[in-house]
Amino acid sequence: MMEAQNWQLSNPILGLAVVAATFVLFYVVGFLSNRKSASAKDLYIGGGNVGAFTNGLAMASTYMSLATFLGITALILQLQVPFIMLWIQLILAIPLITIIYGTSLRRMGAFSPTHFIRDRYGVTASIIAALFMILVSVMYALGQMIGIAITFETLLGIPYLTGLFVFGIIIVGYITIGGMAGATNNAAIQMVIIALMFIIPLGAIMKAIGADGWYFPPLFYSDMVPAMLESLPTFFDYQFSPKWYFSIIPALTIGALGLPHLAMRVYTASSLKSARSAMVWFAFILGLVFSATYAMGFVGVYATATQGLVISEGDADKLTIILNLVYNPEWVTALVIAGAISAGLSTLSGNLLAIGALISQDIIATLKPNIPQRLSLRIGFIAIFAGGLVSILLAIEPPAFLVVSILWAFGLAGVTNAPLIIVGVWWKEANKFGAIAASVVGGAIYIIVSPFVFPSIVLTGHGVTDGMGLSGAMLAVPISFILLIVVSYITNRMPGLANKLTKQSDIELIERIHGWKDIKSYRYNSTVGAGITVVVSAAVAIWALMPWGM
Amino acid sequence: MKAYKKEVQFTVWMTLAFILVGNVGLIFSIFPVDAMLFGFPVMYIVPILMGWFGVFFLTIVAGKVGNRIDDEIDSENDALGVSDEVKDV
Repeated sequence: MMEAQNWQLSNPILGLAVVAATFVLFYVVGFLSNRKSASAKDLYIGGGNVGAFTNGLAMASTYMSLATFLGITALILQLQVPFIMLWIQLILAIPLITIIYGTSLRRMGAFSPTHFIRDRYGVTASIIAALFMILVSVMYALGQMIGIAITFETLLGIPYLTGLFVFGIIIVGYITIGGMAGATNNAAIQMVIIALMFIIPLGAIMKAIGADGWYFPPLFYSDMVPAMLESLPTFFDYQFSPKWYFSIIPALTIGALGLPHLAMRVYTASSLKSARSAMVWFAFILGLVFSATYAMGFVGVYATATQGLVISEGDADKLTIILNLVYNPEWVTALVIAGAISAGLSTLSGNLLAIGALISQDIIATLKPNIPQRLSLRIGFIAIFAGGLVSILLAIEPPAFLVVSILWAFGLAGVTNAPLIIVGVWWKEANKFGAIAASVVGGAIYIIVSPFVFPSIVLTGHGVTDGMGLSGAMLAVPISFILLIVVSYITNRMPGLANKLTKQSDIELIERIHGWKDIKSYRYNSTVGAGITVVVSAAVAIWALMPWGM
Repeated sequence: MKAYKKEVQFTVWMTLAFILVGNVGLIFSIFPVDAMLFGFPVMYIVPILMGWFGVFFLTIVAGKVGNRIDDEIDSENDALGVSDEVKDV
């Protein structure tokens, strides 16, 4: 039992039965919730009347992807404590989206962040942003698709391609039928499943290992610390410089602010007050499951360091499942697999709905504003389905590392979308020339310094740091902010361009989405604030270019 | 003017507070601490606790203050007479 082996359920029927039962549940909930999806508003934001608790759970499960079960624990095994420090701040996503721009965009009635970009910066900028967002969403969806197929392959013995196509199409079908109302109710249920299927089996594993705190796994595992320090004294080391820890902020904290499927959750709220209560539930639930994830990683490292458990490098992704196979009965592992699939499903549905909204609302409806409601809705359904199909097809030849590429997509969102939304909501001077420059140049720089396109042009040479986009985003995110502010400031003062800009309607839009009924020239117009942003951004970008010493 | 200033200051300070509380690891990477808390190294458990309960607490504060600022914006709006709704640009 304790040597490297082929980790699989000896009774795959059991696993399949549990997964099938959860799928039936999701289909029924999706069908019941979506019977009344008559308009695009219903489809993408669930009619805009989702309650705070349901929404908070749904926000958390949309965010907690398959990575919770498969990828994170592997990276904890590999990077140890630095990766935990990196992961902790991901909880900031929904709170920061809500306070910085979520409530404003909810007030505006936006379907997606690019909807705001279109009203604020015009058609060209919004189509550029939408194309980048589709790329981000597809990369994200691709990660989930691969993870789901790998789960079926390794644990139930179903060949990768069969699992990918059969389950991929079942999942895409359910999301297309369910729309956002179905997705929201299902995501809330999925969050409960994820939390139970992760934390309770972890308690059982800890009990089997002999840990005293098994009754509350997320925090009560300190009695294992002395043994851990003895056999692996370096586990708690920070390893990297403050610069590495700082780069997490532009790459992931700001990156998460540009993720369309997260922001869309804020727009589903029934009111601004409800959106703010949802973020409280989100923080509580996400903190609970995140902490349990660190505990699972800790227990995994502990088991390999002290219990003689051998996990080969290729199996690192499956740590959670392996611990369950070793220490828990098989039916528990089957439930854990159902939890993992639920986690992938809720994120995937968020991604596909974002793709649907981006293609039908932000691209087609922008270019052809007069198409009838029914046709627009039908295009939305087709776009969701097509987005799913594309991610299935891309997953035929999967790229190597699941979580790394998802985190890289955070940075791309942070470079190409977040500055446009943040500055656009808070500064009247931001205009379309600045937005286009920021998105195109920033995005190009980020892609060029990534290890995926030109492997020799990277900032650190440390594989995971470049691959997760930490170094690239530390350079490209501030450049994007600088370009947006400086180019806008200059072009606003060029008389020849005045007739190409829509200053008055921009000003009215900004006042309205902040809740004002009148217009005051002093509001959202601070040159000092913009100047400070440029100076700070320049300092960060220069720091990113200096040697990383890794 | 008052509600606007509050809105901007609240957003800036709250954003910085969230970033700080969610990135305690960054602080410890600059100022390392060699001590134990609840049986864990401080540099391990404090970032985890702050990243859960600290952020949770801030969301409660942010929710309450955000709602209050909305109300103030509404009451400043109501204070505008209908005839005052002239565009002042």
